[in-house]
Amino acid sequence: MLKRYELHNHTTQSDASITCAELVDLMVRDRVDVFALTDHNTISGHRIVKALLEEKKPPIQCVYGMEYTTYYGHILCLNLDRYVPWDSIDRNCPEKLFRACRAAGALAGIAHPFSYGAPFARGCRFDMTVTDFSQVDFIEVFNNPEPLHEVNERGLNWWQSLVLRGERLAATSGMDLHGAWDMSMNFATYCEGEPGGDPAAELARAIRNQRTWLSKGLALRAARTDGGVRFHLEGVHKPGFVPGKRYWLALTGSDGTRTWDITAGERTLSDRELGDAPVLIPKLYSDSADIEHLICIAPVLRRT
Amino acid sequence: MKELYRVAGTVNRDFVGQITYTVCLEKPLRELDIQFTFDKQRFAEADITPELLRDTAQTLREQYGQELSDEALRRAILGEMKTEIHTLATIDGEFIGCVHKQLTDRHMHYAWPEASEGCIPRETFSGVLKVTVLVFNVIKDDTHYALTVRGK
Repeated sequence: MLKRYELHNHTTQSDASITCAELVDLMVRDRVDVFALTDHNTISGHRIVKALLEEKKPPIQCVYGMEYTTYYGHILCLNLDRYVPWDSIDRNCPEKLFRACRAAGALAGIAHPFSYGAPFARGCRFDMTVTDFSQVDFIEVFNNPEPLHEVNERGLNWWQSLVLRGERLAATSGMDLHGAWDMSMNFATYCEGEPGGDPAAELARAIRNQRTWLSKGLALRAARTDGGVRFHLEGVHKPGFVPGKRYWLALTGSDGTRTWDITAGERTLSDRELGDAPVLIPKLYSDSADIEHLICIAPVLRRT
Repeated sequence: MKELYRVAGTVNRDFVGQITYTVCLEKPLRELDIQFTFDKQRFAEADITPELLRDTAQTLREQYGQELSDEALRRAILGEMKTEIHTLATIDGEFIGCVHKQLTDRHMHYAWPEASEGCIPRETFSGVLKVTVLVFNVIKDDTHYALTVRGK
C-alpha cells in the first residue's frame, strides 16, 4: 500500500499557531497515515506527541524530526531522535551538518530551496553551496504554501536537473504547516508500506531508494514488463482531490519531456517508445501538461 | 528566584552568528528561568532613508528579479524587515530548548513538569549551563540585548 506522509509541520513549540494536540487532531481528520513533527530548531514537541499518541491511540503514526533553521537555509531532518547541534554551520560546506544528522540515524534534506530569504526572512532561501550531493537524502520539491512558479517550479527543475545528471536524491513535499490549514489539492508524499508497519523504517527505505510519490490524490505507478514499462493510475484517497477529465503521462529525460494520454488509467510503453535516456522522471498531469495541472511525480526510472 | 547571571551587550547591523554565555551552576536547581530581551526589532517611518530604500531595492532586484514601487518597498520594509534573534540552551552539552518565536522579551522557564514552549522540562539543573544567542538578522546598529539567568 501507499501511505500518505505529511513531512513538514510546526506547532506552538516553535512558531505555529496550533499545539501538538491540535496538530494530531488535524492530521487524523485529514486521514493522514503518518505525519512528521518538524518544529524549528527544537525537539521539545517529541515527548508531548509521543505521550498523546500513547494515551489516545489515534489512528495515525508520527515520525519525529526538526527543521534546522540556519542563517543560510533550512534543512529538514526526519527520523531524528536526539538533538544534533548546528552551531558549526558552514555556508560553503553544509555537508558537515548533513553528515552529522545522518550519523544520528536521521534523514536530512533541503527544505524549500528557492523561498524568499534576505532581506525579509534570512535563512529561508537555501544559500549554501553543496559540493557532494551524496550527503543529501532529499529535496523538498513542493513546499505547498509557497508560490508555484517563483519557488516550487524552480525547486522541481533543480531536483530534476540533479537527478538527470545522476544524483540519488528523493523528492518530498510538505505543507510547512503553521496553522489549521486546508490540505486539499496540495501535494503529499507517499511511500510504500505495510499496515501497522514501522513508519520511520518505511520512510527511510523510500527516501534512500528514491521511492517517493508526490501526489495530490492519484499515484502514477510503473512496473517493468517484457520489453517495456506498464504505467497505471492508483487512487490514494486524499480528501478534496478533484479528478480531471483527461490525464497525461509525461516522461522527462536528458533529451526532454514526452507525453502520452493515460486517461484510460493505464498505458504500456515499449522500450523503443521509452527511448535511450538512462534516467526518466515520470509525472502525471490532469487536463494539460503544465505545472498548474501536475498531479503526481513518481519515482525515477533508472534504465540499465 | 535568585539572579545567577546578568549580562548586556550590543550587536551591529548585519551581524550574523552566535554569542554563547557559560554559567557554572554551583548548586543543583529545581527551577530555572532564562530571560532574553532586545530592542530595535522593526524599522519606524523615520528610519527609512533613501539609502535604505536603494539598498533594499537593489537586493530584491539582484536576488529575486523583483521590482517594487517606492510605496510598496516602504510598506515591505516597515512590515516585514526585522531583527531576528533566537535563544538556545544546553546543560552539560545536552539540549534543553530553543525559542524560535519572535519575541523581544522572552523567558525559557523550567519548573518540573512544566517548561516554556520550545523547552524540554527536567527535574533538576546542575553542571554547566550554556545559553546561545542565535543572531539571524540585525537591521540597526547598536541593537541592545540583555540576558538574565535566575534559579531556585
